[in-house]
Amino acid sequence: MNAIASHLVAASTSHIDPDIVISARDLVKAFNSQVVALDRASFDIKRGSFVSLVGPSGCGKSTLLRLVAGLIGKSAGELSVLGHGVSGPSHEVGMMFQRPTLLEWRTAVENVLLPTEVQGTTTDADRKRAIELLQLVGLKDFEFSFPRQLSGGMQQRVALARLLQTGANILLLDEPFGALDEFTRERLNLELLRIVDDVDATVLFVTHNISEAIFLADQVMVMTPRPGRLAKIVDVPFERPREIGLMQTPEFNRLVGEVRSILGGH
Amino acid sequence: MSLATDGNLSMTDVAPARGRLIGQVARHIALFLAVMLVWEFASTYELVDPLILPRPSAIATALVNMVLYQGTVWFHLGVTLWEAVAGFVIGSVIGIGLAVAAGLNESFRRYISPYIIALQVTPRIALAPIVIAWLGFGMMPKIAIGALICFFPPFINTLTGLLNVDEDANEMFRSLGAKKRQIFFSLMLPNAMPIIMAGLKTAISLALIGAIVGEFISASEGMGVLMQRYTFALNMASSFAVLVILTVMGYALFVLMEWADNWLVYWRHDTRMTAISRKKARAWAGIIGRRQA
Ligand SMILES: Nc1ncnc2c1ncn2[C@@H]1O[C@H](COP(=O)(O)OP(=O)(O)O)[C@@H](O)[C@H]1O
Ligand SMILES: [Mg+2]
Repeated sequence: MNAIASHLVAASTSHIDPDIVISARDLVKAFNSQVVALDRASFDIKRGSFVSLVGPSGCGKSTLLRLVAGLIGKSAGELSVLGHGVSGPSHEVGMMFQRPTLLEWRTAVENVLLPTEVQGTTTDADRKRAIELLQLVGLKDFEFSFPRQLSGGMQQRVALARLLQTGANILLLDEPFGALDEFTRERLNLELLRIVDDVDATVLFVTHNISEAIFLADQVMVMTPRPGRLAKIVDVPFERPREIGLMQTPEFNRLVGEVRSILGGH
Repeated sequence: MSLATDGNLSMTDVAPARGRLIGQVARHIALFLAVMLVWEFASTYELVDPLILPRPSAIATALVNMVLYQGTVWFHLGVTLWEAVAGFVIGSVIGIGLAVAAGLNESFRRYISPYIIALQVTPRIALAPIVIAWLGFGMMPKIAIGALICFFPPFINTLTGLLNVDEDANEMFRSLGAKKRQIFFSLMLPNAMPIIMAGLKTAISLALIGAIVGEFISASEGMGVLMQRYTFALNMASSFAVLVILTVMGYALFVLMEWADNWLVYWRHDTRMTAISRKKARAWAGIIGRRQA
């Protein structure tokens, strides 16, 4: 009995690699018998990497993110974050949505301070950090504006600062700039790359734009719908920091073609 | 910086706006006086029966008499005001309290909703005689009637506001590890504030109606009693004077509620929002070591 138990423990710990921060094995989420939102997904995400999730809408991208965030429970399989099974929201994991979800009765800086407030008391050091984060996302001089006084792009910047204020090392972004115009989105994408480099985070970034997915990421997880499946994980070999001109290179377009053909097969 | 620029812009805007406003007010007053004058003449030359529609000058005289010389109207006004405000407070507290319980607990919501609907479709003013039979003749039954007919708007508005929370915002709070209590006070309640205030604005005028109807049915004091006394005596000028006083009172309550709305739901009022924004910038100046405009 004891021998078997210790053997099991050894087997289950042996594959824990300290460099893997998110690990899924045959992860399944079914909302009911008809809707299998995510069907047997297996993947490992390395510390400090930037991973894009791309696929048409309804293929389970948000479901995968919400599972990792601990907002919903899995139906089957295994999912661990930093070596522990996911059982609920964790301070190690922060999430950002397509809509800014700001509290309109709070100023920008008070919105950024929300994570700190939820966790306990707010100190002057927290306040200083919130102000610094707003500067980092390019909102110096707007700290005391209310959401209604800010443009959509600026609101999403506040949401990004709030995400960074959580101090989480794993950042889940669900089409964060999807509702913005193309120019604003491109600029925010570049700034996002600079910022996550700065804070040394692991990023899971959902998008339905193939170029964007490749441009930002070290790896692209390509997903296909009905049922939601992880079709392939594509490595993106380009150096960092990346310039916008990368999108014009033949290698880049070859990768875009590869991802498109995986999606097109469905 | 940006705030200061905004200030300058609005300054240049104000001057012509003020001129236009004065012109508008002047036109309103002129029209009002014209109507009064026509009415005065129509009544004087008995084109309308002054017993039905007394002359504006007679109403004004009655009003001055009542308010300045006799002075008894103040006592009745106080009674009605007290009944209305107490009814409003009690009705609103019950309405909001029930809505919070129903908003937080789904099974409670299911159990009380048939009763709430029944009470809503009943013309609740019909309960007034029953309430008076139960509670007797003092101020209590009027307060109870006011509470009964005014509790519904705060109830339904609070419930709607609490349930109408953005699902993403809710998930955002959960992802931060927020407890239910934190989600309630930091998200659901402020989110519901604008619509709760709208419910309270309706409630206060309903409470006033409740108090006066209660006084009509049976009372020895209050504006409803005065109104009945004067109409039974065919002293129509004084009846209309009572009506004018009630209008002013209703308006005062309305303004009070608007003011409360401005104060509580500051993020929906641009001027207040800008003022608060500046105040917070000043309060934070020490922390960030930077002076704000
Ligand atoms: N709470 C839910 N209840 C039932 N079905 C759901 C729920 N959430 C998502 N789904 C379904 O799961 C599938 C995947 O949804 P989602 O993960 O949101 O896709 P994506 O983010 O890729 O557009 C869709 O078919 C969607 O309708
Ligand atoms: Mg989605």
